[in-house]
Amino acid sequence: MDAVYYPVNDFGPLMKGLAIGGLGIFHVFTAQFAIGGGFLLAWFQWRAMTDRCPECRLFIHGYFRFLVLVSFVTGALTGVGMWFTSIQVSPQTIALMVDEFHWLWAVEWTFFTLEVVAGYAAYRYGARLSDSAYLILLLLYAFAAWMSLFWINGILSFQLTPGRWLETGGLWAGFFNPTFWPSLLYRTVACGSLAALVAMLVVNLSNLPHNQKTTLIREAAWFTMPMLLMPFLGIWFVSVLPPDSREWITGGSVAMTMFLGIAVGASVVIAGYCLIGILRQRLTINGATATVLCLMAFAATAGGEFVREGARKPYTLREILYSNAIRPDQVKKLREVGVTTGDPYPLRGADGLPNEQTKLGALAFRNLCSICHTVNGVNSLPGLTASWDTDMKRMNIAKLQYLKPFMPPFAGTPEELEGLVQYVEWIQAGSPRAWPDSLADPQTRTKRLAEIGRALDQAGVEAYLHQKRRKE
Amino acid sequence: MEAPFPLGLPLATAFYLVFYLFTLVIHVVFMNYVLAGTLFIAYRGLFSRAPSPAGDITLDWMPLMLSGAITAAIAPLLFLQILYKQEFYTANLLLFHRWMSILPVLIVGFYSLYLLKSPGITSRWLRAGLSLTPFACVAFTGYSWTENHLLSVRPEGEWAEFYKTQSMWYAEPALWPRLMMWAVGAVPTLCCVLAWQLWYRDESVGPGMATLALAGLAGAGLAAGWYFEVADEIVRPALFGPFAFGYLVTAGIGVALQSLGWIMIARERQASLRWLLLISVGLTLTLLGMTVCREAIRITTLGLARFESYFGRHDAALGKSGFFWFLFFFALNAGLIAYAFYLVRTQQKSKPNG
Repeated sequence: MDAVYYPVNDFGPLMKGLAIGGLGIFHVFTAQFAIGGGFLLAWFQWRAMTDRCPECRLFIHGYFRFLVLVSFVTGALTGVGMWFTSIQVSPQTIALMVDEFHWLWAVEWTFFTLEVVAGYAAYRYGARLSDSAYLILLLLYAFAAWMSLFWINGILSFQLTPGRWLETGGLWAGFFNPTFWPSLLYRTVACGSLAALVAMLVVNLSNLPHNQKTTLIREAAWFTMPMLLMPFLGIWFVSVLPPDSREWITGGSVAMTMFLGIAVGASVVIAGYCLIGILRQRLTINGATATVLCLMAFAATAGGEFVREGARKPYTLREILYSNAIRPDQVKKLREVGVTTGDPYPLRGADGLPNEQTKLGALAFRNLCSICHTVNGVNSLPGLTASWDTDMKRMNIAKLQYLKPFMPPFAGTPEELEGLVQYVEWIQAGSPRAWPDSLADPQTRTKRLAEIGRALDQAGVEAYLHQKRRKE
Repeated sequence: MEAPFPLGLPLATAFYLVFYLFTLVIHVVFMNYVLAGTLFIAYRGLFSRAPSPAGDITLDWMPLMLSGAITAAIAPLLFLQILYKQEFYTANLLLFHRWMSILPVLIVGFYSLYLLKSPGITSRWLRAGLSLTPFACVAFTGYSWTENHLLSVRPEGEWAEFYKTQSMWYAEPALWPRLMMWAVGAVPTLCCVLAWQLWYRDESVGPGMATLALAGLAGAGLAAGWYFEVADEIVRPALFGPFAFGYLVTAGIGVALQSLGWIMIARERQASLRWLLLISVGLTLTLLGMTVCREAIRITTLGLARFESYFGRHDAALGKSGFFWFLFFFALNAGLIAYAFYLVRTQQKSKPNG
């Protein structure tokens, strides 16, 4: 299949992954709060209507207003935002997932609709309804919200571990993939914990007497109890990861290990405070501490999502699509015909470049590198390669997947690779007005391109992990 | 294109187009209510302080209706990506920040609606400013959608030219007439839904609303004429060919039924169930007809060869399983939604909680 070209936008000094990651973390946080919040409200309603905790009734409506204002609005819109941002970052990735899973996405939409209807019905009419009717509406809301997670979790976890789908192409093989269950259960526990922490904050913002606040905080703290399962679920998740992904997060990549550490550390502190402090030692919690714990939960969410995104490298859809939206089976052809040849979109700012070779390099950068690297911002390519001399750049880029196993193989011609090297060197030299064409001399051209070609051939067209697996 | 829609199209393309248009009609009902309703809220906030049941209902229901509009937009958005993936994605990418800005803008619109409902906002000037905000946000979103749609159907060469300019605003002569046709056409939808809401609450639907609805129908007709004038070379073959002509007539019949219903309400000075039903049937026909006509214009603009080149992809998408699960859960959740309505209607208690 030929490559489909889309216009590529420059995010300036921001890495594209930061844009989608930032929005994704915010969305996951609010969406998980909405799910846990629904179950927590149902729990409080049941405790109130059975006279096990009459104080719970005082809290329900205020919390629901908070849930609606924060979660219904920002949760729903950032969900759509995730879709649009995914298109901005990698249209090929979202295109493939829509093609594969559109009916499951449509199923998720039916649950989302139920969630909105049941949620609004409970919010608007809850105070006027009988206790049992209100409880049913809350349960419907919570169930629908959790089912939304169920369906989206399958699609997202497919990105990391497509499992038997790679052999069978079957929908359910992809959906119920190896990380589906540990991921779903882990997220479910996280939903309950987030809801409990926000409840503690909301209780502290209320004007209730101290003893009632204490009672409500303790009721909410029970929702953090399943955090005891988190270590087991985490180990389960890590154990079913592909070996290379497991290696990244357990020391192979310092950044990913650090983010995993943040997620684990923040979760341990939250669980320790809630389970030991509030439930066992019968301590209470004030607004400031509740806020800090909510922020720690946000940090844990951010760390977890970063690890989930990063563990897929060098793929955006494991073994199907590389991070730069090139399919493994396209690499060989693109090395022959070039990745820039079919690109119909002109190079922006071409007038500022000194020669045709750097223009070719800038186009190669746009198509192959700009998804993760910037020119002069976060994770900038000139910055990362500043200490390499020209030959090192040529050889390292040609054998990229060996240099860093989480990088995809270079998918362009030797001319494009040389253009990229010259483009990077030109930036590193301070973008001078004049820059020599390194291939101007015919003899040098032949020799240099042959060297690059040999290096590319030695590296092969497959990702490192494929080659390693084949050797094993 | 030689037979009435959806006949003559390959099965997969017809299948996804029918789903797309069906779900789009649902979205349009919410969207029209929100667009015209926020304008009504703005008008009342700026110029009128007289008590009005219609004004109260619109303000009270608007956050839910905006939520409904966003929720209902997801399904057609999904099918759009099956049908016209490259076009939709490319237009999104070309408009970049401008396109993405509809999300924070809608969040601002949403919260301004909640603030408007809050009794804490007492300053007249603040309320006036706030009342304008939801409409400004929704109108901006509507403008962006129209702009995105028009850009999405341009040839690839024009996309490349647009990319080179680095502009994030796209304009062509058809943009404003097309936008006005849909925006003014939103007024009759608001009037119809609002009339049902008033009727349900035993409030009167006066001749004022009938006049407004008739003015909306006339205004949409004028805007349609303007659009035809500007984009005649595309619109004429699209609408007067066998593919869409029947739907154009259907839309026209819908307008006639709506007009008749509103005229009778104006004459009788009250809304009866009979006329409301007639108006609703008319509105349904108009929206259905217009959405098919809109699609015919899109396909004609793309060109038959380009449209036919997608058929293989539609066929491949149809080969993916999951459709029957969708039907199952659609039915299940429709039943649960009906049950939620049933609970609200029948399970009210005699005295309030706690």
